[in-house]
Amino acid sequence: MSIFSFFRSAPRASAVQAKERLQIVMAHERAGRTGPDYLPMLQQELLAVIAKYIDIDQNKVEVKLDRGGDCSTLELNIELPAREAAAKALKESAKLAVAGNRPAAKDGDESDAVKLAAGGSLTNGGVKKRR
Amino acid sequence: MGKIIVMTSGKGGVGKTTSSAAFATGLALRGFKTVVIDFDVGLRNLDLIMGCERRVVFDFINVINGEAKLSQALIKDKRIDNLSILPTSQTRDKDALTREGVEKVLNELSKDFDYIVCDSPAGIERGALMALYFADHAVIVTNPEVSSVRDSDRILGVLASRSRRAEQGLEPVTQQLLLTRYDPERVERGEMLKVDDVLEILAIPLLGVIPESQAVLRASNVGMPVILDEASNAGQAYLDSVSRFLGEDVEHRFVTPQKKGLFSRLLRRSA
Ligand SMILES: Nc1ncnc2c1ncn2[C@@H]1O[C@H](COP(=O)(O)OP(=O)(O)OP(=O)(O)O)[C@@H](O)[C@H]1O
Ligand SMILES: [Mg+2]
Repeated sequence: MSIFSFFRSAPRASAVQAKERLQIVMAHERAGRTGPDYLPMLQQELLAVIAKYIDIDQNKVEVKLDRGGDCSTLELNIELPAREAAAKALKESAKLAVAGNRPAAKDGDESDAVKLAAGGSLTNGGVKKRR
Repeated sequence: MGKIIVMTSGKGGVGKTTSSAAFATGLALRGFKTVVIDFDVGLRNLDLIMGCERRVVFDFINVINGEAKLSQALIKDKRIDNLSILPTSQTRDKDALTREGVEKVLNELSKDFDYIVCDSPAGIERGALMALYFADHAVIVTNPEVSSVRDSDRILGVLASRSRRAEQGLEPVTQQLLLTRYDPERVERGEMLKVDDVLEILAIPLLGVIPESQAVLRASNVGMPVILDEASNAGQAYLDSVSRFLGEDVEHRFVTPQKKGLFSRLLRRSA
């Protein structure tokens, strides 16, 4: 290393990249971990049903589980393809609210009936439009 | 009733055994009756680090299987009065650890000891799960490095869902971070995650920062827990960490580079 490199401005520190990468991957992993056991299956099956009717891009699907006091919501954000080529990119997202009556829902529990709540329809006013 | 501490990390080779030996020794030095247990079945090493490898006759698994009494397997440390070691088996596999067996041994130990330090194996399988299952406190041993931080986070998830305290809905296992092999100079050069970065990501309280230190290898060579090398940075950092564990407010040391003259820094950089 020459004496000049001592004064050279440092490239973006690798430790900064390490931190950013960790934050991203771990946010993802933590979200996946808090869900009940049936969540991945439920997710897949819901997507399969929707895919039967609408051509969705699997990469444009965002699934989120929120734990509330006595109500948990499962949020599915699906970016639908623009209907016409002429139409400007219209982003639509369908929000399915799945309410469980307890926060720590356990697999196979009777009281845990999954119901599609208001806004569950993809075709009517239940569709939430972004922007 | 003794308190159960687990030294755990997910990732291998980050310093769990070094830290278990140091911590147990530190607690004993402070007057607490302490036992340190090797949960790394099949890869016994704590005995070497504690310097009692030639005194092992019976082990943890023998006790679980009823082949020996606990008192026959416990090894009393020759240097420190209050300290005992429970070595593990070198020949069996992790399946030898049954939950009932581990529980029985821990119950018996907690009648006689103030602290039971469990040296967990790497991974998140049986051995590691058994080591953390009964814990009251978890010390998360982490290196300032991406895979270690990520694995620590996974272990935190396991503690929150699969420990006895979690399963029985009791007060959660307390969790503290022990950041080991920290190199302040590399941190300063932007090559290593800072303490604050790791704390921000893992979001648990900091128990201590143990600097990367040649004293650790030297101590292991001679079978002496590094905390007994009081002249070393690592030894002092472990002593501080034990004090913090006991609730004392001790400032963190060895987190910034030692002051050096410009001349030696230039020499070092061009080396
Ligand atoms: N602060 C330190 N400075 C320098 N070397 C260290 C430090 N801490 C640990 N080491 C070294 O790192 C290596 C691994 O340490 P140790 O055996 O304690 O890790 P471990 O987490 O118990 O590993 P395993 O997962 O295999 O059980 C050893 O060679 C040890 O000497
Ligand atoms: Mg080890």
